[in-house]
Amino acid sequence: MCGIIGYVGTRQATAILIDGLKRLEYRGYDSAGLAMLMDNGISVYKTEGKISNLEAILPDIKSTCGIGHTRWATQGEPTTINAHPHVSGNISVVHNGIIENYEELYELLKNEGYEFISETDTEVLAHLVHKYYNGDLVSAVIEGLKKVRGSYAAAFLCAETNKIVAARKESPLVAGVGNGENFIASDVTALLKNTRKVIYMNDLELVQVTAQGMQFFDFNGKQIEKKIELIEWNIEAAEKSGYPHFMLKEIHEQVTSVNDTLMGRISEISGDVILPDITLTLEEIRKLERIVIIACGTSYNAGLLGKYLFESLAGIHTDVEISSEFRYANPVLSESTLVIAISQSGETADTIAALKEAKTYGCHTLAITNVVGTTLSREVENILYTRAGPEIGVAATKTFTSQLIALYLLSIYFARKRKKMDVDISKRLIISMKLLPGMIQQILNNKEFIKKQAQRFSNARDYFFLGRSLNFPIALEGALKLKEISYIHAEGYAAGELKHGPLALISNETPVVALATRSSTYDKMVNNIKEVKARRAQVIAIAGMDDSEIGKYVDVVIKVPTTDELLYPVLSSIVVQLLAYYSADALGCAIDKPRNLAKSVTVE
Amino acid sequence: MKAVILAAGEGLRCRPLTLTRSKVMLPVANKPILEYVIRALSKNDIKDIIIIVGYKKERIMDHFGNGIDFGVNISYIDQDAQLGTAHAIKLAEPLVGEKFMVLNGDNLIDEETISDLLRGNSGDISLLSVSRDQITGYGVLLIEKGKVSRIIEKPRDRISHLVNTGIYIFSSSIFGEIEKTPISDIGEYAITDTIQQMIENGASVTNITTRRTWIDAVHSWDLLKANSVLLGKTEEMKVSGSIEKGAVIIGDVAIGDNSVVRSGSYIVGPVIIGKNCNIGPNTTILPSTAVGDNCSISSFTEIENSIIMNDTRIGTGSYISNSIIGSHNIIGPHFVTEVGKNLNIEMKGILHHADELGSVTGDSNIIGHAVLVRAGKMISTGCTIDSGVRILKDIPQDSIVV
Repeated sequence: MCGIIGYVGTRQATAILIDGLKRLEYRGYDSAGLAMLMDNGISVYKTEGKISNLEAILPDIKSTCGIGHTRWATQGEPTTINAHPHVSGNISVVHNGIIENYEELYELLKNEGYEFISETDTEVLAHLVHKYYNGDLVSAVIEGLKKVRGSYAAAFLCAETNKIVAARKESPLVAGVGNGENFIASDVTALLKNTRKVIYMNDLELVQVTAQGMQFFDFNGKQIEKKIELIEWNIEAAEKSGYPHFMLKEIHEQVTSVNDTLMGRISEISGDVILPDITLTLEEIRKLERIVIIACGTSYNAGLLGKYLFESLAGIHTDVEISSEFRYANPVLSESTLVIAISQSGETADTIAALKEAKTYGCHTLAITNVVGTTLSREVENILYTRAGPEIGVAATKTFTSQLIALYLLSIYFARKRKKMDVDISKRLIISMKLLPGMIQQILNNKEFIKKQAQRFSNARDYFFLGRSLNFPIALEGALKLKEISYIHAEGYAAGELKHGPLALISNETPVVALATRSSTYDKMVNNIKEVKARRAQVIAIAGMDDSEIGKYVDVVIKVPTTDELLYPVLSSIVVQLLAYYSADALGCAIDKPRNLAKSVTVE
Repeated sequence: MKAVILAAGEGLRCRPLTLTRSKVMLPVANKPILEYVIRALSKNDIKDIIIIVGYKKERIMDHFGNGIDFGVNISYIDQDAQLGTAHAIKLAEPLVGEKFMVLNGDNLIDEETISDLLRGNSGDISLLSVSRDQITGYGVLLIEKGKVSRIIEKPRDRISHLVNTGIYIFSSSIFGEIEKTPISDIGEYAITDTIQQMIENGASVTNITTRRTWIDAVHSWDLLKANSVLLGKTEEMKVSGSIEKGAVIIGDVAIGDNSVVRSGSYIVGPVIIGKNCNIGPNTTILPSTAVGDNCSISSFTEIENSIIMNDTRIGTGSYISNSIIGSHNIIGPHFVTEVGKNLNIEMKGILHHADELGSVTGDSNIIGHAVLVRAGKMISTGCTIDSGVRILKDIPQDSIVV
């Protein structure tokens, strides 16, 4: 996965491109480069490492037209030579995606005398377009890309004209409309500082960008009309604003983001959930026999809670599948199945591919996503936006809790339509949900205590997270958060599984986080805590404020406000996020950009 | 010109409300005090703002971010140790230019207040003052030939009516002077000491007296007065939520997105209601009341001249008057605040005076059914109060009252 950006206008382009690339760093940051249109051709600057390295080698260039790239290597090592832009004669290109028929094209171009200097698949794009170029960049790009199998969002710059041509297939691309200047980028966050007017591109569409305007084409070269959309996110949400890390900022934003997810979707007086974007009819909802949730990473953990909710509240059999497994598993699906895809970015390649696979069985489809107008949102019948705002930290925090809220809303919605839930119960749940933002604030007020615990155990080699029933997904999420940002080895387990193996790993040096909020399995959980305590583990319990008993069995109790049993996972999530954050901070890790990881994974 | 806003302190006299947020974040007409300061600067084209933060800084950073929503550019500087105003100003040295403005984040001001200072600005230092009958607790100015000759902190006698607002324009030479300022008796470096020292060395300090808004909320209950003044002035009172048939709205009333005012409710402005609220049915809200975001006020409840902060639920049949209720309280039915006049309120052994007050409740309390709070009494934060209790004295943090 990579990020691309392009600018044509009247201002100095390098500053705008560099700033945009910095906002795209979440898409990858192992090497970066710029191609700038100069009076005497194109100048290319590129380097290994983060955007700041590129900035350091950049001379003061007056150019007002250029393209840029931040790379996340998939083919070819992250070296300066392999960094984009790639050049063939008067053509340069930046690319996000994978060329599947690379070998074939490589042979073909090699035979025609083109020389390859890098190990990347992208270089064939430069040569292909150069091969077809005879004065018209648009038709050269169309001809070139028609030969390509695979995915791309690619932008081309030609030394002879003051314009950029960009196209996409299965990788994200947006165009930004400015005043006397225009932009393209992988993501709107790169554009927000300059414009809020954007045009989302679809697969197999192409745009020609000049300072004066933009023309859109299909792959037959026919001009098409596109709609301008106004983005309401502001750049504030994309900046750290005083916090040392985006992750900590985003953890704090959960007071607002949880509220935003709920906003206008609940009526506490009638006990109903209102979801106007769900187009499933009453009949269709009543006939649902099965739900399949497909997701990756953190979204998968949210999906596991979804399973519990859909089954216990709405009485619908639910399976949760890892997208990359589901696709190849010959799934058993029918028209009475609802497939729910959960993806923060809406661009997760595995999830999109899995959803496309599911659609071939005639299932109903629904997406829970955070970004409007993405590939995923165009693939599904029903959509539920989480409205958490842009998330920059690689470790998902606020988008996770918003996904949980979306799942609560959806399960109550289904339960009510299927007459599985009485209004007094839904009302109680809805009122409790409305109180969550304030409770999250209470946990944040207590963060110094959590920080102290994290610091105390930050030298541990292994960490265990235990939970039962609806706390189990949070145990997994807690372990995932800790692993990905602090590099401490962590495992999440269903507490009952402990004696089937993992107990052997527990020693007096192992911190064990026990998610012990009130539920029907509370007593069992206490027994599990005694089990690990007997092996002299250090136990940190996360429990409700009203629990005065748990302190007898554990070393540390982190208390969360008392809420409905069903809703504790939202509050426990905040605690495990803070625990992971402060552990990583104590160890001095690169919290917003953990090694080997990128924000959203748009390659399979 | 850039501006430096001092917002690192807690505001001890506004407890319990400041236990969970700093004084600059206390809401007046549903906006934190600091927001009025920032808007006043922005309207005077002062767009580069440095906020010195410390106590509960996350609340400030969460609200203002980098300033884009307020049309300004905000940077934050952390004052880890509370070493006084001069120390705080010194921290901004790398970020400010030749001339810069310094303000307190916890005083309510408007656009014209700042314009007055900018118009009168001259000399080494310009200082904004206001004329007050009551000067207790303030720093006052003595003037000779139009220039400030002395600043006296909290004088016993009424030697002057000119109160120092703490709003200044300095030049960068102040930083050298701050380094020479000795530490005060209470262990802080005060900027007024620096200025006094400069006056003694012959610096010219211009006094500008303004008649425009400058409200200093000393005690939490002063917020009620500020709230009623500002609600009366608010320019845009707009209704974007929905009002059911049969609800009566009189006067200036603002209702935020996604809020519902249900049938039979009676609201007399000036009243502001935030986003995502559920009001009624049959709820009465009377003048000078601000209800925050995400609140729920049940039927047959009457609220007047009060501030209700975000995420609070108030049960049916309650009466709340001249009171402040913090964020995220869950209040049962028939909650009653008694109102008293000329109250003497004891805080940390010192008596403070309130003309008229119901009660003040902090954040995150859970209050049972039919609880009555005696006039002038305070409930702190995180308390659980059982049904049927009469609150006759202040309830400390995290108490359980049975």
